[in-house]
Amino acid sequence: MVTVSMNVNGEKRTASVAPETTLLKLLRESFNLTGAKLGCDVGDCGACTVIVDGKLVNSCLMLAPQAEGREVLTIEGLATQDRLHPIQKVFEDKGSLQCGFCGPGVIMSAKALLDQNPNPSVQEIRDGLAGNLCRCTGYSKMIEAIQTIARERTA
Amino acid sequence: MATDTKTKTTALVDAEQLLRVPSAAPLVPFPVDVQVPDAARQTPAVGQRATRPDCRLHGLGQTKYIDDMYLPGMLFAKIKRAGVASARIISVDTSEAEMTPGVMAVVTGKDIPCNSFGPSLKDQPVLADERVFYAGDGVAAVAAVTEQIAADAIEKIKVEYEELTPVLDPLESLKLETPGVHAPSANIYGHKIIKKGDIEKGFAASDHIFEASFRTQMVEHVPLEPHSSLAQWDANGRLTVHSTLGRITLGRADIARTLGIPMSRIRVVATVVGGNFGGKNEITTEPVIALLSKKTGRPVKCTFTRPEEFYASTTRHPLIMDYKTGVTKDGKILARKIRLVLDGGAYCSWSETTLGKACILSAGPYQIDNLVAEAFVVYTNKTMTGAMRGFGAPQVCFAYESHMDDMAKALNIDPLEFRLKNVLSEGSLSPTSQTLHSVVVRESLLQAAQRFGWKPKTAPEAEGAFA
Repeated sequence: MVTVSMNVNGEKRTASVAPETTLLKLLRESFNLTGAKLGCDVGDCGACTVIVDGKLVNSCLMLAPQAEGREVLTIEGLATQDRLHPIQKVFEDKGSLQCGFCGPGVIMSAKALLDQNPNPSVQEIRDGLAGNLCRCTGYSKMIEAIQTIARERTA
Repeated sequence: MATDTKTKTTALVDAEQLLRVPSAAPLVPFPVDVQVPDAARQTPAVGQRATRPDCRLHGLGQTKYIDDMYLPGMLFAKIKRAGVASARIISVDTSEAEMTPGVMAVVTGKDIPCNSFGPSLKDQPVLADERVFYAGDGVAAVAAVTEQIAADAIEKIKVEYEELTPVLDPLESLKLETPGVHAPSANIYGHKIIKKGDIEKGFAASDHIFEASFRTQMVEHVPLEPHSSLAQWDANGRLTVHSTLGRITLGRADIARTLGIPMSRIRVVATVVGGNFGGKNEITTEPVIALLSKKTGRPVKCTFTRPEEFYASTTRHPLIMDYKTGVTKDGKILARKIRLVLDGGAYCSWSETTLGKACILSAGPYQIDNLVAEAFVVYTNKTMTGAMRGFGAPQVCFAYESHMDDMAKALNIDPLEFRLKNVLSEGSLSPTSQTLHSVVVRESLLQAAQRFGWKPKTAPEAEGAFA
């Protein structure tokens, strides 16, 4: 077992896990943050997407000890007690999620994209979501939602 | 109409004659001009923007899917898959797996009280005990304190097989001399035939006869959420199963049958499903984890890996579709003969529903007076095929529309015009002679053509290339 500690959603968290534990398992099983999902376990589907030190990461491909001492942001860290994150708000308004399983990953990708590029083109949004698979929606309402936020922010 | 009734009644004044007439409801005219209320006035919700009530929790990452549930003391189960398409099981040695630290229980097919289930035919074992019918069959299962220990333990289970020659080609399986996948049962386990008009007469009157064969492949639903289920028993001997099942009542019946306990002792809880598309319509590992939970006295969860989703869950039926169509030289379809062969895989699952729907829809939305459509579903030693969006409709649509395009090209008729000459209209009879209402194929085609600016590539000519 190894002891890992990191900053998760602004809070210092520590756990003792087997060395082969992935960051995803650590978040879900040790920290009870089940927003990031296990979809494929090989980094193809993006359901496990989280942000580590400002960069998008497939948490199923990162070992927990690799996140030692780093800043991890998960879907649970976006909203506050009384306010949804603007991306969550607009995804809700536009009905961008159906079964919702890909949602947390998609929203994290959208956040990373908008942090880097406040006014992305449709192609840039598509590229930004390229690592996230969705089987229900066909992506169009997600793209529409991200465009809406970009318009509101730059207006 | 009222006077009509009166005349008829007075014509039958003779009492004796009246008694001979079978009693029938009198012809009373109903008020026919029914007032249809304006939906928007009737309810203020119509036309309003609605947000999905579950969308907020999805976006917050707070929706609890089955795999997000972690109960105190919960164990993780893994299934040992056969990996061979057809075999006789000689022995299953689980001793080494049982000795592994962290492994709490192991079950094999022999432990299942009633080892068969299925939505229609009960031809599927929960875990294979004597025979393996396809590579994704489970042969044993392990419950351990971590998923990793369970995954390592199933590698330690030794299964000795006598491998048999698998039946892989549905056309081979269709032949009577091919050995039965589920011998002594025949390989053809579902058949449907639809006949309308006189097919021979129709072909004889046709100027051209076109024949074509189409094939579609096996398709997996790939829901983003893999199959998952969680079982626990309470102190009163009642079983609670949380599962990604779409049909919980059917699932409950199958769990009751396989475990040999009354349905009243079983509670199946379906929570939010992360994509179903028809692939989560029947039980998979539920009876196995229920047994593992019973053996250990702990909650047990089993979540499929992504590879298991592909080889151990249901898929869309591959179809082999042979079409023969007789057409007049000006493009009117007179007769059509269709043969469909559905690759049913190792078990029936929802094959009967798929077979029926594919057969009924195989003629397409076209008025064909002389029709024979025959469909077979056969067993092969492959991943089982079952329900998937459309139940066979997308496969036959691919065939009949490709066939229409090929014929239009050969006849040198614009493909849109060729379709318009043959589409169903209000009051047309379906292949099963059902009167069809609200038929707007023509309008839909014309509107679509107008919207995307369809222009015929070839001038519509009555005299085709084969005339």
